[in-house]
Amino acid sequence: MPPDTLPGDAAVQPIHPLRAPFSHLASLWIQVTGTWCNLTCTHCFNSSGPRDPWLRSLDGGTVLRAIREAEELGVKEIYFTGGEPFLHREMLPFLEAALAVAPATVLTNGTRIREATADRLAALAAASRYSLEVRVSIDDVDEAANDRIRGKGAFAKAMRAIRLLTQRGLLPIVSASEISMTGGSADPEQGMYARLRRMLIEHGVAKPRIKIIPVFRMGRLEPPGELPLLTPEMLEGFDRSTLMCSETRVVAQGGVYACPILAGLPGAKLSDGSLREALTPSPLYHHACVTCYETGMACKNF
Amino acid sequence: MRIWSSPTPYERVALFGGIYSNHLALAAALTDAADRGAEALFCLGDLGAFGPHPDKVFPLLEKTGAIVMQGNYDASLASGRDDCQCGYTDPRDNHFARLSYQYTFRNTSAANKAWLGTLPGALRFRVGRQFVHCCHGSPRLINEFLWESTTPDALLRRFLDQTAADVLCCTHTGITWERRLPDGRMAVNVGAIGRPENDGNTHVWYALLTAGREVGVEFIPVPYDHEALAAEKEGEGIPGEFVETIRTGWWTTCLESLPAKERARGRF
Repeated sequence: MPPDTLPGDAAVQPIHPLRAPFSHLASLWIQVTGTWCNLTCTHCFNSSGPRDPWLRSLDGGTVLRAIREAEELGVKEIYFTGGEPFLHREMLPFLEAALAVAPATVLTNGTRIREATADRLAALAAASRYSLEVRVSIDDVDEAANDRIRGKGAFAKAMRAIRLLTQRGLLPIVSASEISMTGGSADPEQGMYARLRRMLIEHGVAKPRIKIIPVFRMGRLEPPGELPLLTPEMLEGFDRSTLMCSETRVVAQGGVYACPILAGLPGAKLSDGSLREALTPSPLYHHACVTCYETGMACKNF
Repeated sequence: MRIWSSPTPYERVALFGGIYSNHLALAAALTDAADRGAEALFCLGDLGAFGPHPDKVFPLLEKTGAIVMQGNYDASLASGRDDCQCGYTDPRDNHFARLSYQYTFRNTSAANKAWLGTLPGALRFRVGRQFVHCCHGSPRLINEFLWESTTPDALLRRFLDQTAADVLCCTHTGITWERRLPDGRMAVNVGAIGRPENDGNTHVWYALLTAGREVGVEFIPVPYDHEALAAEKEGEGIPGEFVETIRTGWWTTCLESLPAKERARGRF
C-alpha cells in the first residue's frame, strides 16, 4: 500500500492549524526496516509484513548520518524500529554506532534472536557506557491467543528471545498492546501488568519489565469511514508538550517524520532528510493524535 | 523559573537531594558536612516522599541555613496537585507512588507547603573559579531522569553550554554518578539522602565539591540509625515495601524508570 493512499491521511492540510510545539530532541527513532517484517500481526498500525513493504528499509549511510546529526543536536535516546529491525543485515553495527553516543533501544518481535544474536547484543551492551534496551513484543500471556494475533509460533520465538537475553544479563522490556488482554482492573494485582509479570516470572525472568501500548485504529485496524480528529476545543487548556511529537522525531524512508506511529505518512513529514530542519511544530492532523491525547501514550520506554 | 545565585565563591560545599522525609539521615549528613568543612549546604529538592513525619526535615534545614531548591515533589505539594508528577505507567508503581504522596500531602503543614512554593528552581554559585549550576531533574525539566547510563556526553555538553556552567549538579534519580568530559567540564548526580541507592547497603549519600584547578568531587556515604527510621515508618502505617528498602538497601518500588544497566545492579 503506497503511503499517499493510506487511510486516515486524507485530511492532510498544507498548514494544519493544530500543532504540537517542539521543545527538545529527547529521542530519535530510526525506522530501519520500514514496514518490512516477517510477521503479519492483525493489529499492526503501519501494516508491516513480509511482502511489498510500502515503506522501504534505510541504507547504512542514512542511518549513520541520522545518528551523527542527532548527537550534534543533543539527543537523549535512540530507538530502532520497523517492521522487524533484525531483518536488516546491518542492525548490529547500527546499534553499535548508536551506543557509542547514546542509550539505544531496539523494538523487535524477537523471532530472529537466537544464541549468536543474543551473544552479540550482550557484548554490545557490556561494551557501552550507555544502556541497551531490547523491547520484545507479545500480545497475550496465552500462547494461542497471542499467536492468533501475531502468527503461529510467534509466542514461542518471542519467549525464546526473552530467555536468551535474560540468561545473558540483559533485561528485555516486554511490550504488549491492549489488543487481546485488557488492563481494565482497578486492582493492580489483577490487571494486564500483573498477568504479564506473573507469566514472565514463571518463565524465569526475575526482573520483569513491561511496557503497555494502546491500540491504534489504523493500519490493519483502520475502520471504514472517518474517525474523529482533535479539535481546538479539545486542546484548550491541554498541555501539548506532553505529546511525544513535542520531543521526538523519526527518520524513515523519504524524510523525517513527527512520530513513530505516523512515520512515512506525508502529513507527518517535516523535512526531506535533515533532522535539524524537522525540529519544528508538528501537525496534530491524524486520528491517531486523538489516541495519544486521550491515553497519554508515549512510544518511549518509560 | 527563579534562580538563586551567590556572588561569593566557595571553597567547599555539600550538596544533597531527595530527602524523602528521612530526617535521621538528613541530620547525620548535615553534621558530617559541617565536620568536613563545608561552607554551604545545598539541597536540590524533594523534601518529602516515602518517609514518616515530613514536617521534621524543615527545622533541620532552617537551623543549618541550608539553601534549598524545589523538586517535583515540592512543586506538587506547594500547588496542591493530586500527584507527585513521578509519571509512572505501571499500576504497581503508581499505587505506591500515590500512597507515598497522599501520606506526605496529609502530613505536611500548610505553612511548609507554602514555603515549598517559594523555593527557587535552580541554584548557581562558584566553587573556586568554576561555575556550578544545580537543577533537580535536568536544566530543562524538573522531573527528567539523568541516569548515568542514559545521559549522553553530547547532551551534557548542551546542558553545560545552555547554563554557562563548568559543573552541572542534579538529583531526582537517587543514584550518584559523576562524569568529567574531555573539555574538563563535568556533571554530578548527587544522589539522595533519603533512601539507599539500591546496592544492598543501608547508608545514603551526599556530595562534596572542593575548589581546585578542576572542582574535586567526593561522594560521602552517610550511615544513620536506619532501624529507627524503619520503626518510625511502621508506626505511621507506611507500606512494608518502603520499610524494606530502608532495612535492606534494595529498592522494592518505583523500579520502572530504571534503565537496563541500573536495574541490573539491583535485587528486584
